[in-house]
Amino acid sequence: MSVLEQVIHVVAETLNVSPSTITRESAAENTNGWDSLAHVNLMIAIEQTFDIALDVEDFAKLNSVQSITEFIEKMQPDQV
Amino acid sequence: MKKNPNNHFATQTRKALKEQAFNWSKNFSLPEAHALVRRLNETEPPEKEFRLGIIHTYTSNLLDPWLHFHAVIQGINLKTYHAPYGLNLMESQKDSCLHAHAPDMILFMLTLEDIHPEFSNPDSSLHLNQINILFEEAVKRILEILAMFRANTSARIVLTLLPPVMPPALGIFDAQSEHSENLWRASLKKQLVDALNNALESTLFFDMDQILADIGRFHFFDFRFWYASRFPFTSLAANEFARRLVNLMAISVYPRAKVIALDADNTLWGGIIGEDGINGISLGPEYPGNTYVAFQRRLLDLQKRGFILALCSKNNTEDVHEILDSHPHQILRRHHFAAERINWLPKIDNLVSLAGELSLGLDSFIFVDDSSHECDIIRSRLPQIEVIQTPSKPVDIPMCLEQIARLEILSLTEEDALKTQLYAQEKQRKQFKQNTNALGGDLNSYLASLKMKMCIEIDSRKNIARLAQLTQKTNQFNVTTRRYSEQQILDFTESNQWTVSSFTLSDIFGNSGIVGLALFHKLTDEAIDIDNFLMSCRVIGRSAESAFLYAMLDYFAEMGITQVTATYIPTQKNNLVADFFNRHGFTPENETGHYKRNLSASPLDRNLFPPIEIEIENTGA
Repeated sequence: MSVLEQVIHVVAETLNVSPSTITRESAAENTNGWDSLAHVNLMIAIEQTFDIALDVEDFAKLNSVQSITEFIEKMQPDQV
Repeated sequence: MKKNPNNHFATQTRKALKEQAFNWSKNFSLPEAHALVRRLNETEPPEKEFRLGIIHTYTSNLLDPWLHFHAVIQGINLKTYHAPYGLNLMESQKDSCLHAHAPDMILFMLTLEDIHPEFSNPDSSLHLNQINILFEEAVKRILEILAMFRANTSARIVLTLLPPVMPPALGIFDAQSEHSENLWRASLKKQLVDALNNALESTLFFDMDQILADIGRFHFFDFRFWYASRFPFTSLAANEFARRLVNLMAISVYPRAKVIALDADNTLWGGIIGEDGINGISLGPEYPGNTYVAFQRRLLDLQKRGFILALCSKNNTEDVHEILDSHPHQILRRHHFAAERINWLPKIDNLVSLAGELSLGLDSFIFVDDSSHECDIIRSRLPQIEVIQTPSKPVDIPMCLEQIARLEILSLTEEDALKTQLYAQEKQRKQFKQNTNALGGDLNSYLASLKMKMCIEIDSRKNIARLAQLTQKTNQFNVTTRRYSEQQILDFTESNQWTVSSFTLSDIFGNSGIVGLALFHKLTDEAIDIDNFLMSCRVIGRSAESAFLYAMLDYFAEMGITQVTATYIPTQKNNLVADFFNRHGFTPENETGHYKRNLSASPLDRNLFPPIEIEIENTGA
């Protein structure tokens, strides 16, 4: 699975929706259920799934599938 | 992507997950927890509903994924209401959303600062002599708050106080200081618990500091979420907190566990006595024998909680008795076991036989064995029994029962602590009866020679916990199986329309403790209804139930009561009392399960009273 596909999967799992409803364009402002509560759960889920550590400063920036995907790809430049 | 270490839990049934030994769920990530909840909700939808209300002064809804995770594993359909943020006293009122939610449990997630403003004063020096006044005020305030909620609900109230986010002000020196924070915090908790025990029923102080101790402060607080969203917990802490809370729910919705039935070889010691002999088994100060010693000590701890131990081993009796009687490092001796089956019969037969001897249902059994073969057989043939297979690594054995939900308790009475002794007394009585029969005596001469004495207490408030426990635990000798909480029993003792009467029974072998309870509802000045009449199985066979019933009918007759009505509500377990009222002079009303007796038309015949000396104490005003 590509990073994008994994991120979509984690977002869908956290928001309790089908992965087919989440796309590269999905973001907090346009996705149903992606409220502040879900966002915290999402940050925890991203950390646990990708085995990375996030800072409080990162939380606000990671509010879309696009930004999360880029963030993770930057941390893992040598992975496919 | 991280490797998934939890894959092998992905397809297990709920029963298999519940019976995992210690700590299996600690490493679950949030997405894995979600996935498991989804799978179990589809394949084994939870059957028991439980309603939780939460009053909180820090973020609580982020606990939900973990609450649902553990609830679904325990087969509980959890419905949670989170009150709006804050110590909202309006939620205690009858017209509040909390009240409308009709919770079975109300959880308070508070911090120390909520209870007394002085705790949040950074300049407070908290001198020793002022601390006591501060504690008194704090305890009084929390009691007032909880009493407001208690006044309008009979839900169980669970109070928690968030542990300090920062280590003590004095660092390592704290333990040696007069102003030790750890010491005064422990002292405050003690005062709080004493006050709660004296003032409020069904109210539990759930000590979060215990979770902190078990997982460590640095693994408990996630400062990022605390400072950004006022949610204190790491996933691990949230997981652990939710697990323990759900355990408290599980013990209130499932039949109580009462017996821990234990295998011997490779469970209580390493090795097989039949092959290794008394000197060849591992049991002693060296590894791995010391892990088994530690496990035996833990089993003794469980006995202190009121569980009884039974031995169920495939062995020659003399071999096991040799260990129990003379092995120098054996902790559990013969008298620690309330019953034993040491033979070569199938364990299923032995467990059924043990249940019969102890007069307990199979659903009150927890069976512990190292053999996957034995465990599988019991699981498939006796599914009511909870089966725990001990871990294969000896170092994991001492802790293997730590997380079993039904081994937690919500109350501890004197009877609980003495449980095993009570069973031992009963064994002696049975032996005495056999001897009497052998000598040609009959039931009446046996009963008379026991020299029984019954003390009846009316509307007493001294043993509310035990009385409530009796209504919740008694299944067989129980005519209506109406279950009541401590708060409800207390309300009955205080009401003019209700009479709560209970009895203790003693004889030449000892005192059985409080073993019977009856609740009477006054309908008019001349009529009462028996709302419930129940008795512990332990004292069946001594006609105590007849003595108690006649004594109470006599008591009410003297007060001018002439009409007594009663009900028998049949269940799967109380067939024993189907003809109880018939046998005691009541006439049935056409198969409806209702009975009545007119005390003036058919007064009590003293010749029918059993040979028991009766004393009645009316402690209610």
